[in-house]
Amino acid sequence: MMDDKNFNDIDINVHDYDIVLKIKDENDIAVSRQMAKSFAQKNNFSLADVTKIATAISELSRNIYRYAKEGYIYIKKKETEPGKDISIEIIAYDRGPGIENVERAVAGGYTTSQRSLGLGLSGIRRLMDSFYIKSEVGKGTVVVVEKRRRRF
Amino acid sequence: MKDFVISRLGELVEELAKDDEQKKAWEDFLIDFAEVCGKTDFKEELKAPVSNLLQHISEKELSDGIGLLYTKIDNFPAVDVYKALVEVLGKKNDENQVRIAELHDTLAELSTPIIQLWQDVLLAPVIGTLDSQRAQNMAEKLLESIADTRAKVVIVDVTGVSMIDTIVGEFLIEMFSAVKLLGSDVILTGIKPEIAHTLVKLGIDFNMVIIKRDLESALKYSIRKFAKDAEIKQPNPKRGDADEN
Amino acid sequence: MKTKVVPTIKLYDYLIVPIQIELDDSTIEKLQMQLLNEISERKIRGIIIDVSMVDVIDSYISFVLSETAAMAKAMGCYTVICKIQPQVALTLAQMGIKLKDVFTANSLEGAIDILNQLD
Repeated sequence: MMDDKNFNDIDINVHDYDIVLKIKDENDIAVSRQMAKSFAQKNNFSLADVTKIATAISELSRNIYRYAKEGYIYIKKKETEPGKDISIEIIAYDRGPGIENVERAVAGGYTTSQRSLGLGLSGIRRLMDSFYIKSEVGKGTVVVVEKRRRRF
Repeated sequence: MKDFVISRLGELVEELAKDDEQKKAWEDFLIDFAEVCGKTDFKEELKAPVSNLLQHISEKELSDGIGLLYTKIDNFPAVDVYKALVEVLGKKNDENQVRIAELHDTLAELSTPIIQLWQDVLLAPVIGTLDSQRAQNMAEKLLESIADTRAKVVIVDVTGVSMIDTIVGEFLIEMFSAVKLLGSDVILTGIKPEIAHTLVKLGIDFNMVIIKRDLESALKYSIRKFAKDAEIKQPNPKRGDADEN
Repeated sequence: MKTKVVPTIKLYDYLIVPIQIELDDSTIEKLQMQLLNEISERKIRGIIIDVSMVDVIDSYISFVLSETAAMAKAMGCYTVICKIQPQVALTLAQMGIKLKDVFTANSLEGAIDILNQLD
């Protein structure tokens, strides 16, 4: 179950991550949110950035639950240079149906769900410092985002 | 070596320095040096004297002095003295870095003050160049002040801003939308002609805020608004008599 | 009335809804039904949702809040959301989320003032 995941050009080694969460029911969305929040707090992110990280994870988990039924969220702390500021990397991975038009989904305002603003992916991209998405129809979706710690 | 240094102290000091203050500093250093000479943790013990000496002379002078002592004193432990010097300088450099970072923070703090102008009015004058880090810090600070003071109106004055590009414009729009979400109004003042020009050219639209020419008209507007709100509140008939069920 | 997810307080013909629990997806949907029921059963003309204890409002929670406000509006009832946490407001603004059909206030008094002016 917890094998290394390989998705095209992205290798995910589960042992590199501080938190690995399986998303398979609705409650897991709230759980992932709480875990992300306490992890960012523990790493001294500003209150605003803690909230942004928790919100981004909430969106990612919901996307997994809603479109792929199940998948994983990986969270880890990244140190760029010793003594320099750290960042948090989050990967959302699923083997769901994939997104047909990634560009349109990321641009925002578009959704295939009836109960959604269609602002999830575009919102995540705006909240985070870096954003990468790879999706293939029939294979799944992986989203990699990063948030750097800001001095405050 | 200890005895040698002490016995030739006056002579060495004469050669090492010209003015009296520096002579005194070298003398103190050489006495300390003689004291710790030959100890096992010589290098560590020497750090304090080196650091004291550096308060009176430059790094170059100290380096030259060590060279001189090396030729004058047999078996002078130049390597250890240099090691001590390098470590002291390294530590000094670290301290300077921290100080620069602190000053940077202080500057950021100073350049985004938030002033309570009136009971329900906050003023946030923006001065200087806004980068994304400063803009985010300012937004966080402003929103917290609004939540704390429950201000109804926030005047953001950009008289001191020399330019607004798309990135800063977007940050401002986000900040204004966030203020509105808290339930307060934003009045934007002090947009200079060249900024108005770029705003329109770039298509940045501050349509969610009230824009006033200057601080005075912004204040007048807020006061009029409060007066109007109070008028509406005055005739407050008893209401909701009908009990549930 | 069915069990409530959030205990509410009726003041005049306003309903005060202090949310003090984690808003997961099923809870917020139940809350929507509860509020609509209370509007009709308790003759409510204005809802004040206090979200000062809510740490995360994402796009779905925003969507349901706006949707609820639109439904309430259809029943002749206005919705004010008050005391959004500053960092939550920043996050929503950065994501480009607008809370349609709701009014916002930074205090309970402010929320009541808004509703009084709307009548």
